[in-house]
Amino acid sequence: MEKITFKVQRYDPDKDKKPHIQQFIIPFRHGMTVLDGLIYIKENVDNTLSFRSSCRMGICGSCGMLINSLPMLACHTPIEELKKDTITVKPLPNFPIVKDLVADLSALFAKHKSIKPYIMPQDMTEADKPTAEFLQARGQLEEFVQFAYCVKCGLCMAACPTVATDKHFLGPQPLAQSYRYSADRRDCGAKVRFHETDTPHGIWLCHLAGACSEACPKGVDPALAQQLLKRAMISDSLRLRKKPVPPSVAPPPAEKKPRIAVPEFTIKQPGTKS
Amino acid sequence: MRENHLKILQYVTGIGLFFLVGGYHLLLMHLGKGDPESWSSVAQRAASAGWLTIYILILIFGIYHGLHGVRGLILELSLPNRAVKVLNWSIVLIGLAVFGYAVYIPIQAF
Repeated sequence: MEKITFKVQRYDPDKDKKPHIQQFIIPFRHGMTVLDGLIYIKENVDNTLSFRSSCRMGICGSCGMLINSLPMLACHTPIEELKKDTITVKPLPNFPIVKDLVADLSALFAKHKSIKPYIMPQDMTEADKPTAEFLQARGQLEEFVQFAYCVKCGLCMAACPTVATDKHFLGPQPLAQSYRYSADRRDCGAKVRFHETDTPHGIWLCHLAGACSEACPKGVDPALAQQLLKRAMISDSLRLRKKPVPPSVAPPPAEKKPRIAVPEFTIKQPGTKS
Repeated sequence: MRENHLKILQYVTGIGLFFLVGGYHLLLMHLGKGDPESWSSVAQRAASAGWLTIYILILIFGIYHGLHGVRGLILELSLPNRAVKVLNWSIVLIGLAVFGYAVYIPIQAF
């Protein structure tokens, strides 16, 4: 394979009435990813092509796209693995399009924020001004660590058939994160999160299609997290869930190490005495 | 009532229907004597308080389970909060109406 054909969905809301497909034929090299192809097009063929990318190694979650009808990270998808001469690239479905391959993920972030994705200790002043370190055993960490690998790329939301039909549905990413924080032993805010997810557009609209887990590039398995969240919420309603016990606090270090001195500025700031 | 409680009831009625309808068929078709569809056996069951209880339980469980399932399907249509309230009350009224109409027959027969 010397050449590869990219069929890219183009859409500029200022110029186009509806999205259309543009074809690019570019040289192929061994080990090339879909993102490499898009970067080649932008640098050598058409610099008006818009797409998001940052880390190029599947960590930042910026380059989520619909590649050959499946939501994937472009940087994490080698062209050879697709086993096709033609690659169709479209923006993530279930999100509005900003331009070309750039989807507007603000709805995802708003939903993510609504489930309070942070540790809520019993004493909230401790959250603002921590006085000590909370202990967490390895087993306690393993209860949720898989769900903490989420990079918020939005692929699970794009794959979810319920998000496609109900735009108010919270979706796999926020629901999985709701479980991730509720399962954390350092957290005492599960009740608050359960209240947020126990709505007509909440956790009970998940039908366990499993498309989210299949799409997730980090192996988070949001479908499993949602099932565990359902179980936790039912247990909580039936008063079978164990009450959260405040986590034990790590003892203060025996010897206080001296702080490393902050180096002085090499370039003197204006107004400071030399 | 929160969605959580409605869903727990959905599970309870589902399991209840499995045992009630399963038990009903087992008793009538396999363990009962004579033709279960004959006039005399139907009249005998209609006069029994035990059978009446089973019929009413099947009715309640069936109506709740069915209508809650329909509500779940309609809720996926991205309805605004006001429409969800209208839907909830409509489902409750339909359920009560169907129950009132359907329970009339076994009670009259009893």
